[in-house]
Amino acid sequence: MLKPGLSAIRMVFSLFVFFSLSSSAAETPPFNLSSLGSTNGIPLFRWQPYPATVSYEVFTSLSPEGPFVPATNVVGIGYDFSPSDSGEMTFYRVKATSMPLAQLLDTTLLNRLAYGPTPDELARVRSIGPDAYIEEQLAPELIQESLDILPEGTETNWVYATATGTASSSTLYVYLGGAGAFFIDDIKLVEGSVPEVGTNLLVNGDFETDLTNSWQVPPNLILSSLSPTAHSGTNGLSLVATEGGSTANNALLQVISPALRSSRAYTLSYWYLPTSNSSALTIRLSGSGIVSTPDSAPNVALARLYQRLLSGTATLPELRSWYVQHAIRSKKQLLEVLTQFLENHFVTQYTKSHDYFDGFYSGNAIPNTLATQAEFKEITRWREALANPACTFYDLLKISVESPAMIIYLDTVNSRGSGSRIANENFARELLELFTFGVDNGYDQNDITTLSKCWTGWSVGLMDPTNSHNPFAPTLRDQNPGVAYSNLIGDWSFIYKQQNHNTSSKVIFPGAKVPARFGEPWAGRAYELNLPSRNGTNGIEDGYQVVSHFADQPFTSEYISVKLCRLFVHDDFDHGYDFTSSDLSDEGKLVRECMLTWENSTPKGQMRPLLRTIFNSQLFRSHAGSMQKVKTPLEFTVSAIRALRSENADGTATADSDGFAIVGNSPSSSSASLNRMGSMLLFDRSDPDGYPESGPGWISAGTLSERLRFVQSFLIAPGQTGKSEGGANNVSDPVALLKKKLAPGTWADAGAVTDYFVDLLYPAEGKANLELYRASAIDFLNSDNGGVQTSASLFQNLVPNGTAQQIAEYDLRVRGMISMLMTFQRFQEQ
Amino acid sequence: MQHLNLITRRGFFDRSMKIGLGVALSTLVDIPLVVKQALAEGNIGRNGKKLLFIFLRGANDGLNSMIPVLDPSYATSRPSIALGRDPGVDYTAAGACDFFLSGTGPTYGYDQAIKLGNGFAGIHPSLKFLAPMYNAGDLALIHRVAYPKQSRSHFDSQNYWENGNPGNNLSKDGILYRAMVESGLAHTSPLTGISIQSSLPLILRGSKAAMTNLTDPSRYDLLGVPNNELGNNKADLAIKKANGFPFADKRSRELLKLQYQNLNNTLKIFSDLDFSDAGNTFVDDINTDNDYPYHLFPTSNAKNGGYVRSATTNAAEKYVVNPNAYGFFTNLKAASLILNNTDAIVAGTEMGGFDTHGDQGGAVGSHANLQKRIGWALYALQKYFTKYSNKANWDNLVVVTLSEFGRTTIENSDQGTDHAEAGVMFVGGGAVHGGAYNCGPADPVPWEVGPTGSMFGASKRYLKRATDFRSILGEILREHLGATDSQMARIIPGYADPDENLRTGGISSIDKVAITGELNII
Repeated sequence: MLKPGLSAIRMVFSLFVFFSLSSSAAETPPFNLSSLGSTNGIPLFRWQPYPATVSYEVFTSLSPEGPFVPATNVVGIGYDFSPSDSGEMTFYRVKATSMPLAQLLDTTLLNRLAYGPTPDELARVRSIGPDAYIEEQLAPELIQESLDILPEGTETNWVYATATGTASSSTLYVYLGGAGAFFIDDIKLVEGSVPEVGTNLLVNGDFETDLTNSWQVPPNLILSSLSPTAHSGTNGLSLVATEGGSTANNALLQVISPALRSSRAYTLSYWYLPTSNSSALTIRLSGSGIVSTPDSAPNVALARLYQRLLSGTATLPELRSWYVQHAIRSKKQLLEVLTQFLENHFVTQYTKSHDYFDGFYSGNAIPNTLATQAEFKEITRWREALANPACTFYDLLKISVESPAMIIYLDTVNSRGSGSRIANENFARELLELFTFGVDNGYDQNDITTLSKCWTGWSVGLMDPTNSHNPFAPTLRDQNPGVAYSNLIGDWSFIYKQQNHNTSSKVIFPGAKVPARFGEPWAGRAYELNLPSRNGTNGIEDGYQVVSHFADQPFTSEYISVKLCRLFVHDDFDHGYDFTSSDLSDEGKLVRECMLTWENSTPKGQMRPLLRTIFNSQLFRSHAGSMQKVKTPLEFTVSAIRALRSENADGTATADSDGFAIVGNSPSSSSASLNRMGSMLLFDRSDPDGYPESGPGWISAGTLSERLRFVQSFLIAPGQTGKSEGGANNVSDPVALLKKKLAPGTWADAGAVTDYFVDLLYPAEGKANLELYRASAIDFLNSDNGGVQTSASLFQNLVPNGTAQQIAEYDLRVRGMISMLMTFQRFQEQ
Repeated sequence: MQHLNLITRRGFFDRSMKIGLGVALSTLVDIPLVVKQALAEGNIGRNGKKLLFIFLRGANDGLNSMIPVLDPSYATSRPSIALGRDPGVDYTAAGACDFFLSGTGPTYGYDQAIKLGNGFAGIHPSLKFLAPMYNAGDLALIHRVAYPKQSRSHFDSQNYWENGNPGNNLSKDGILYRAMVESGLAHTSPLTGISIQSSLPLILRGSKAAMTNLTDPSRYDLLGVPNNELGNNKADLAIKKANGFPFADKRSRELLKLQYQNLNNTLKIFSDLDFSDAGNTFVDDINTDNDYPYHLFPTSNAKNGGYVRSATTNAAEKYVVNPNAYGFFTNLKAASLILNNTDAIVAGTEMGGFDTHGDQGGAVGSHANLQKRIGWALYALQKYFTKYSNKANWDNLVVVTLSEFGRTTIENSDQGTDHAEAGVMFVGGGAVHGGAYNCGPADPVPWEVGPTGSMFGASKRYLKRATDFRSILGEILREHLGATDSQMARIIPGYADPDENLRTGGISSIDKVAITGELNII
């Protein structure tokens, strides 16, 4: 490469990579020179960073045969260097040492099998090794976890709570966050900071006398009353809410007389006993000078949400909050990832279910909870299935076709094929196009029409709980004719209306044979499906025979394998490979391997061997799988919380979210983060193809702006401006994390602090490739809020454990630096 | 100067596996995004033309908006809600769209059908502000627009209008999304298609490119830590600097880099735009309606028509739209500002409340209030894009209203109307061939009057369609935005199919109804 004009300097430049024994492109991508130029006669070499590089080293020699020695005359860092002019012909080599693939894999696993690394999980996977992590996550039934379980004694014992604050008013509110019930007794409010010391300024706080002259009861709490369940004395208060409250007209209220003295300290104390599925309790003064929210500890709040989901009283925001909190906190990360995959594959829609149930009940409250329950039941059944080591795709497919949410969503619920009636084709079309074979892959419109007849009669009905698994049992309406639905208590379940079924015999895929492109062992196989004429309750077998047949076909194994490869490896797997071609790409080969695993497991389509095939593949375990995807809004928000979340012994953590701060407080919450990042409404997608899996579907300037605002708000300290922006209840304490993980002597060391967080946030990028990020972060730490560096602003001069002001300054600086790192492009990737 | 493989492409690993390392650029399977732009066909986004859409959700009652005054069945079908004829007006006479009211004050009181001047029809008096634009030849009022095998479900029918695929109610992406992808600019330009409403509508949705929906454009800036001017600035600079850091090649990194750049560019542009109410300084260029110049976008009482007139004037006569409309006009203003000040090609928003099953009202009432908003919105857009034009002007803009279906001919027992078939579309813009379409006996598919005529032509109950909505949108996409024929076939499936007759007109192959095809409105 002669450079004209450079006197007497001829250089040859080559780059090589220090690589492992294997030499596939996935494992050793090419290493390229980006540009070759000069400044003032000094040559400048620049190369494109090599993936996951931990160091670049430059060697020189006077002759092409060597020996090459480390160059001493280089200037510059990172990706470029300039040698000084030696006057002689000089040969240069650059060596890029990439991270060992096993180390790369640690991060890939946490990015794909989990919703991103946490500080503790990253360390744990690095120590137990990738294969151990994979086997652990493939078997969620063996992972011990108590996320949805209430701490012992929470239900059966009266709990004491206190709160001290200043008098912002003389009105006391008592309310629940949603529907539910609590027992409360012995509420006291005393002057000063010590509970129960002094005169109780409240009247009838022990609930020994009637509520009438002491407490005002709003309409949503009208079912509250005195109760023999008492902490002391004869009575306690049974507080029963039909709706949540927050302020004067929907809270139990007492006006304290004589009035409290403004800004003086007062202390509230009381005993409470929740019932199993209550929403959160709040007791506070108007103006919130004193606020008590017991049971808001994350573990208890989550367990309560779960109880409400089980009892069918939960609303959609509660389901979403529970779901997102699980994604953040669960140890069974792969189970969470697979749940979301299934939820987004077998798409159903809350709003459609709501509208269906709306026809049977007046008001919104019951349709809301029923539609939520339909979603919760379906994901619960999938999660239970995945906990079985022998779980197959057929099991998961069967759960979907039996799900009331699916029966309603794709209009099977009213589809009739008896007599001259034409069946509704929506489910048949999407079953083939989206759930099993993939679009136009082995079927045509005639098959859809015939298939639609198989599902006629599949419907939903309100059943006595003892009958809810029997589609042939009479419904509660059958058993209680003329009784309004609102007076019937039961479960909405899958039922089979034999009178609506098309009983004729049916042939699907007549004469069809698997195309040649599939290769051995499938090519040429006949896959025609013959369904005999079936009457009465036997008609239900049409549907089951169909899904059993579909699950065994190579079209299905191809379609699902491609989807799973796209989820776990990278976005560029295609449908329709010619598996017989000698030119078959690595991606095509992996899909074929997955299909063979599916074919050869007994029964076919077992999920764990299929996943293992992907996780053991070269593509997954190398650069080809590392950092090649973009996070969806759900993955982005959850991974942001997780990235800074280390759990403490007392159950708190260095970063957390109450879930609602991400998903919003109402079904269509337009201000919720997930909505703003591109309308990712969990459980409520209107299009059956599911939310996009690839980057272009999510990344535009507008959605990026929302993502950045989310992490920025997350890093802002509670109470500061901008905090409530993305949801005030996404909280982080990066300084607490830092103090947990770094030695005290290094807390004011910009280099040490930066190194820790750069590795935490970009673990697969490679130290050498992160030089500029590191420099930016150190720069940030060393400059003041305006970006100016002075001796006073230097990070080493901050005092992490000094006065309140010094602590605050240190905290602000660290938060700002991490916020900056998390707004960079690299954090959008997984 | 020698460059080796500046950016490796997705197919590179693929290819290099087969051929060996060191493969030339020419064999690359996937081409860089910037190159895609250069290779795109057609002119969408390149000819300066823009589109603004307003979806009227709930099904706008076309028969009371664009009124077949001279169809005797109109008045007899709607005893309570029909608009009356002004006895002093000859609706059969050709001429300008106009009406007369004595006095020199604002003409809010007019409550009869306004003569359209095509010899047959009128418009709702609340649409009076459409008259100037119509008379200037910039507004096409198109009646009897629908699609075959009409669905009477709001959800399904809105989906068909938005995905351009009637009959496929669960289809995955929108017409305007496909148009933006065809432009080749979807990944490289900061803003191509944008909506200002609560979430991205189907018409702009698709999985290969993320169109932008802004629930609130004033949010389009970043938060520093601390969140004040200094802190925000420090954060901004850091991100900008990091955008320039070189990176190892991975999928999506080029997309991310481009979109981060787009974000920076758009932040810069947006920071100069004032989306707040205080920044709403856009006013009419004449004394509006015999009054003083009104604000074009009513976003608060103080900016709503003649609010500043005497305190004793009846509120209904002061306002040009009712106060419930402020949210809509805030969004419309944002969409207009963006279209006017950025390279966005398509912008839109929605207006709800059209599902007037009961108490619809005639000259006044819920339907009338909605017509006031439509009338004022189009008037305001014409003024805004003329007087305050920057990157967009009225001659380069087309504004179109969409609605999922029209409403029943005969009013129901609640003095309202129910779901039906054909409705109206309004298309405005400097390049539009204005006029009344499909609303007269001399039209290509004639309007037949009477109890066996067009108003009962579908299922003996509903106004029968004469034009498919896809023909209207198709012509706009082709003639105005500059899509090629092959692009049209991808943007609107079946557009090129001669059996469907969407372009040239004829008999629909689906239900054998006579349709006009494109109406030459551009």
